[in-house]
Amino acid sequence: MEEDIDTRKINNSFLRDHSYATEADIISTVEFNHTGELLATGDKGGRVVIFQREQESKNQPHRRGEYNVYSTFQSHEPEFDYLKSLEIEEKINKIRWLPQQNAAYFLLSTNDKTVKLWKVSERDKRPEGYNLKDEDGRLRDPSMITMLRVPVLRPMDLMVEATPRRVFANAHTYHINSISVNSDYETYMSADDLRINLWNFEITNQSFNIVDIKPANMEELTEVITAAEFHPHHCNTFVYSSSKGTIRLCDMRAAALCDRHSKFFEEPEDPSNRSFFSEIISSISDVKFSHSGRYIMTRDYLTVKVWDLNMENRPIETYQVHDYLRSKLCSLYENDCIFDKFECVWNGSDSVIMTGSYNNFFRMFDRNTKRDVTLEASRENSKPRAILKPRKVCVGGKRRKDEISVDSLDFSKKILHTAWHPSENIIAVAATNNLYIFQDKVN
Amino acid sequence: MEAQKEAQRIMTMSVWKLYHSRLQRGGLRLHRSLQLSLVMRSARELYLSAKLEEAEAGGEAPCTPEQSADPGQPPPEERAAPADCAAAPGATEPMETQESGGEPALAPASPGKRPARGVSLPGAGKGSRKRRSSSLDKPGAAEAGLAPSKKARLEEEAEGERQPQGQDGPFPSLAKVLQHQFAGRLRSGPAKGPDPPTPGCRPGDGAVLNILVRAVVAF
Repeated sequence: MEEDIDTRKINNSFLRDHSYATEADIISTVEFNHTGELLATGDKGGRVVIFQREQESKNQPHRRGEYNVYSTFQSHEPEFDYLKSLEIEEKINKIRWLPQQNAAYFLLSTNDKTVKLWKVSERDKRPEGYNLKDEDGRLRDPSMITMLRVPVLRPMDLMVEATPRRVFANAHTYHINSISVNSDYETYMSADDLRINLWNFEITNQSFNIVDIKPANMEELTEVITAAEFHPHHCNTFVYSSSKGTIRLCDMRAAALCDRHSKFFEEPEDPSNRSFFSEIISSISDVKFSHSGRYIMTRDYLTVKVWDLNMENRPIETYQVHDYLRSKLCSLYENDCIFDKFECVWNGSDSVIMTGSYNNFFRMFDRNTKRDVTLEASRENSKPRAILKPRKVCVGGKRRKDEISVDSLDFSKKILHTAWHPSENIIAVAATNNLYIFQDKVN
Repeated sequence: MEAQKEAQRIMTMSVWKLYHSRLQRGGLRLHRSLQLSLVMRSARELYLSAKLEEAEAGGEAPCTPEQSADPGQPPPEERAAPADCAAAPGATEPMETQESGGEPALAPASPGKRPARGVSLPGAGKGSRKRRSSSLDKPGAAEAGLAPSKKARLEEEAEGERQPQGQDGPFPSLAKVLQHQFAGRLRSGPAKGPDPPTPGCRPGDGAVLNILVRAVVAF
């Protein structure tokens, strides 16, 4: 891999800087909204932090739209299921934005059991001149009121408030792993290990079950649902991935219960790669439609694959993310890293795909030029407005300068969640409890 | 031999992880538990096939009486081993007769025809099962709180039924591939003679296996 692959200059800025990592601060999901103006992150403590892009100003052209904190709120709290004597984690598993239809922003956030619709709105005026209370809010003595006045709206400092508008609860026996907003903007789906439910945004007390793979006898269970997503344009189509490395495309027009798939995507296994852990590493951790709706991308433990919806028997492209780990699977099983669920993202034009790895590395693959790059999200390597240097992992033999050997990789520093701006080359990378935002600097 | 040790290590690790996953916040994760049980099963298959090859190469007699004596609680690994062994004459278990017709290709290199003998389990009755559960530490403790589960047995039956149809279920083919890979290594092992651990240790192995297999419990 040549050093001159990355000829772009990259800007970066740091947000959410913590001196020590508390578990509650570990970022568990990252998502840009449809315009890219807002970036939402969810963490293990159940909080959602929304960043807003600064308006570009002519006075400071080099501060090209940096992201600042816009709103922070507690989305989910820890709960207790008394019937099963289980604690329900408050960790935010996924956030999905709704497209903007008025001045307010709406997003869905979910933990293991409950999905919530949040409204984030701005308030920059407040009423002043109440009759019954004074400016501090204290009640006035009614006998002291001698005249009536009409309150007027006066400007105030901008306040961003988040209110829960809907709570969609009690529909999932197993742990929710995905939510996806339909292109009709009226419905969305939530998927757990064995079932997928379809919701209407207006109705919280019932949902339709559209996929159910629970076997009659749980002892016969062989696979679970790992991710699900609606097609970006066709409101009747969705896909879901399984722990066996397969993807099923379903059409809701065919039947009310979409247990029977319309298309079934599976690549035959390479027998030479068989090991104890073949089944685990073939489990798909993320599935994403391309913006065009023509392709789907899947992430399993070692690879990213791009599938054409018209071809079910094999992917059209396979990218090795960190194949040097194939010989280390036993150690990775020991330290539980083999269970890590990496996500993958498309860029706005579907020409580049990105996914995370260990040692705070993340990888980008250009589908057209077939070139790839490994970058690192770390404070030491990234000064503001510095260029990100491509990294390389040495797999054996002589280690060149600046290369890092496989055994020196820090497996506690993993990048599971990344996001790409819908139209520009701005990426958000979550490294444990830190969020890195990298921008392309166009000269 | 190393394959066996490795397989056993992975099995033990899997049980430990399964047990501890119950204690974590948020409750048992279905996906994780499924993955752990898959790995444990693969490791167990390899372990058994390795043991079987060793035993056959050592030329030991089949121990059918034990199996026929305990139809009510057939140790699951005994049923797993048929997946790997050759046609068994006079096999007492129905699974074996099914497989002898269906999967001659799975025969190990040695010509010895014997029923499943992956592990010898003296006193495979209920009394010794209780003794084993209470005497072991963590894996045993995991079992102590659980009702006896029929899951492993049902799975083995399902596997056995699948095989005569000529389908390559995931586990038999894995055992085949792993067997093929490790056959070379194992062949050198038995030639040295009996295992360094005395036959008296074998019940311990079997006991661990028994507990481990029953740890693959429906959740």
